[in-house]
Amino acid sequence: MATSLAASFQIRFSVSNLISHDPCHVSPNHNGLRSSHLSESYKLHRSIHKPLRSPVFAPMALGSNTSQDTDDMYDDLFKKYGKVVYKRNDQKSPIAEVDDDAECLAFAVAMAKIASDVKAAEIKLLFVKPLVYWTKFFLITTAFSRPQIDAIRTRINDLAEKQYGKFATGDSKANSWTLLDFGDIVVHIFLPEQRKLYNLEEFYANATPIDLPFEDQQMFGR
Amino acid sequence: MIQPQTHLNVADNSGARELMCIRIIGASNRRYAHIGDVIVAVIKDAVPNMPLERSEVVRAVIVRTCKELKRDNGMIIRYDDNAAVVIDQEGNPKGTRVFGAIARELRQFNFTKIVSLAPEVL
Repeated sequence: MATSLAASFQIRFSVSNLISHDPCHVSPNHNGLRSSHLSESYKLHRSIHKPLRSPVFAPMALGSNTSQDTDDMYDDLFKKYGKVVYKRNDQKSPIAEVDDDAECLAFAVAMAKIASDVKAAEIKLLFVKPLVYWTKFFLITTAFSRPQIDAIRTRINDLAEKQYGKFATGDSKANSWTLLDFGDIVVHIFLPEQRKLYNLEEFYANATPIDLPFEDQQMFGR
Repeated sequence: MIQPQTHLNVADNSGARELMCIRIIGASNRRYAHIGDVIVAVIKDAVPNMPLERSEVVRAVIVRTCKELKRDNGMIIRYDDNAAVVIDQEGNPKGTRVFGAIARELRQFNFTKIVSLAPEVL
């Protein structure tokens, strides 16, 4: 079955990750992430420092304990038998990574602000980097009609192009679940029904929600 | 290497259990489909009391193939089964969760929605 293969991949990939990372990559205390302002992003990223789990290994369905145990086990094994035989050249230094994260966070908050300007509801920004390797932030919003989705999409695209020089892939027209993929940030715009149906927040429940500075106004507006 | 008449497992909770490919979308005379390709398929087996039923014609994206997937860096990925995720005409998945490991190539083919519902991305 695929699962058995997946398991063997997991192990192989995790081990290769351990080889490429430094051994002390587990930082279980990621609850200190709840800071909202951009000015505090530096503090935020100092506390993030390193992903919780290895990037390829993203068992969101598992409890955090299990994966931590596995990580500990791999750490022990690494300390006992492992040595770094190959390190990828394209890996960034921790400082560069933190800078990168801060930049992405600023971009994500700017996009969230735009979504709130267009009266999108329930805007949530999730830091998913510890859970999945392929992106850093999820921005999840609800819009109430397709024209509104279109408005949010156009405005976000404009901002990304003009200010940040980034281009989105993903949906090119309004959809009941419109997705904009900026690489490090993935924007999901749902209609209320689809948001309930897919329930992404529950699936990424282990991700750290980041408080947005204008959230209160949004709640007031609804 | 998925071609018409190939049976595929369903890797989501849409209610279908088994699909049979009847057409590959994207080219007029293409022989095989690979990971990330959209196919038209007929449901051969379905879970009872779910919206999708047997003998319904649906679109699906191939997410796993027994045929090896080669990457530029020399990595080769081969799964134990052929599997697909049922989508609608707009490209949204009909199920709400995807099962099993999927390849990151799906993101390049603009199926980031499926990637974001998957528990594991290789």
